[in-house]
Amino acid sequence: MKIVVCIKQVPAAASVKIDPETHRIIREGVQTVVNPYDLYALQWALNLREETGAAVAALCMGPKSAKNSLYEAYAFGVDEAYLLSDKKFGGSDTLVTGTVLAEGIKKVGDVGLVLCGKQAIDGDTAQVAPGIAAHLGWTQATCVTKIGNISGETVQVKRVFEHYTDRVMCKLPTVIAVEKAGLRPRVPSLKDWLRAIDMPITQWGAEDVSVNEAELGLDGSPTKVVRTKAATFGDKETTVIEGSPEQSATRLFIELARRGLY
Amino acid sequence: MQKLIDTKSYIVELTPVKQKAKDLRERLDKFVAKFHQVIDAGYCVSIPDNPMGHLAFQGTELIEEFGLPVPKDRVLCHLNTFHTIDEIEGILSSCKTLGIGNVLIISGDGSDRLPKLNPDDVGAKTNAVNSVELARYIDRHYKDVFRIGAAFNQYEPEAYEFEKLEKKLAAGVEFIITQPVVGEEEILSRLIGYNVPVFLEAWMSTNTTLLADCIGYDLPHDYSHEPLEVLKKLTRKYPECGFYTALLKFKSQFPVLDDIWNGGGDT
Repeated sequence: MKIVVCIKQVPAAASVKIDPETHRIIREGVQTVVNPYDLYALQWALNLREETGAAVAALCMGPKSAKNSLYEAYAFGVDEAYLLSDKKFGGSDTLVTGTVLAEGIKKVGDVGLVLCGKQAIDGDTAQVAPGIAAHLGWTQATCVTKIGNISGETVQVKRVFEHYTDRVMCKLPTVIAVEKAGLRPRVPSLKDWLRAIDMPITQWGAEDVSVNEAELGLDGSPTKVVRTKAATFGDKETTVIEGSPEQSATRLFIELARRGLY
Repeated sequence: MQKLIDTKSYIVELTPVKQKAKDLRERLDKFVAKFHQVIDAGYCVSIPDNPMGHLAFQGTELIEEFGLPVPKDRVLCHLNTFHTIDEIEGILSSCKTLGIGNVLIISGDGSDRLPKLNPDDVGAKTNAVNSVELARYIDRHYKDVFRIGAAFNQYEPEAYEFEKLEKKLAAGVEFIITQPVVGEEEILSRLIGYNVPVFLEAWMSTNTTLLADCIGYDLPHDYSHEPLEVLKKLTRKYPECGFYTALLKFKSQFPVLDDIWNGGGDT
């Protein structure tokens, strides 16, 4: 059995800028990182490999530059890496992305478990993992903070929701979307990275997946972004209050009162 | 560290290579070349620890992997509080093995990837570990192995920063490195009076936005930072101090460093 981890290359949070004309995220020239949620999925997969002996594959859909994210997955310790990259995939919404990734998972073969981050920090939809499961017809669990007791047939997970948690047993094969919780993703060493950047990445394009071309990319996506608007923030003012803790507290109180905030 | 001041040897900060695949080998090669350049000049290399909370390779990893030279007292590794105790011990053990005798303890910047050190693990009775607690831990366990340095932020409220400085010195700190010095700062005279080696940070970039971010307050609108001129003034005004260069330009600035400290360097 293989474990597939779906990862996405996203703009680093600190470098996200919005084009004031188009109101779209400027992706050119910005620093990119592996989606932080996906790092937790990677770490869970590596832990489960210890338990089961399953090989771990990383799968990414994105531009050619997304290979860098797959090298990072290799630095983490995955055994195989696959990139789904084609201009025809460009502009795909979550439905199409889920479909293409599901087809990629079929091509990897012998997959019993798919792990995804709960959501990507650029889109924040949390729809892709359920989309993969729906396309494959597999069971799924989202908002997962713990994975364990994996056997040939099932895996047990803990899910955390706003007002409750539960534990469910998922029949394999299954798709699990994880929260940023439950473990700490490892920090690869320099030796890990030097080994990773020489590892092979298998690349697949539109002709390699069993999806009608008309159902790919922007044209094939039922989601249409009608309008986005960048939030604007007013100028902020910082006042440093000096003195002993008692003096500072008194001055802070006076300042808040002066501004009608107390 | 006093010897660096006596011999007019700069501490040159080398930004460690970030953990990302793009151009990794090229970036590593550049780091290695700069490291050799600093050591060959007789200066001290200083390697930050995950600066700004960005994941980077540890100085010890880079030195081990590339067999970089570690002359006595001429490599300084930073160590911050965003590590597990096992990582801290691993880094200190590597420093010891490599002969790196100087560590600069700072609180540091965290991120999702970097865990905050657990107070219990260093025997601290505080809610969170700061540089004082970490310095005390290292002093307790490695007293004869490392000379501990700490940062001094002259832009913090004076009373607060000096109180912290005294705690750091009591915890075993033996040398001090300031924040970038941009003008005449009276507080520095008081700092120099503490009779420990003091290294003034010289900001070698003209990027004043980044400089303002670093020192934590807005610079005057018309402020223009001329790094070499500032460094020249500092070497003349503070002959009892050493100098720590950050964001040094190796092509244009590195070759004139000696001249500047030796009284020449009309730039």
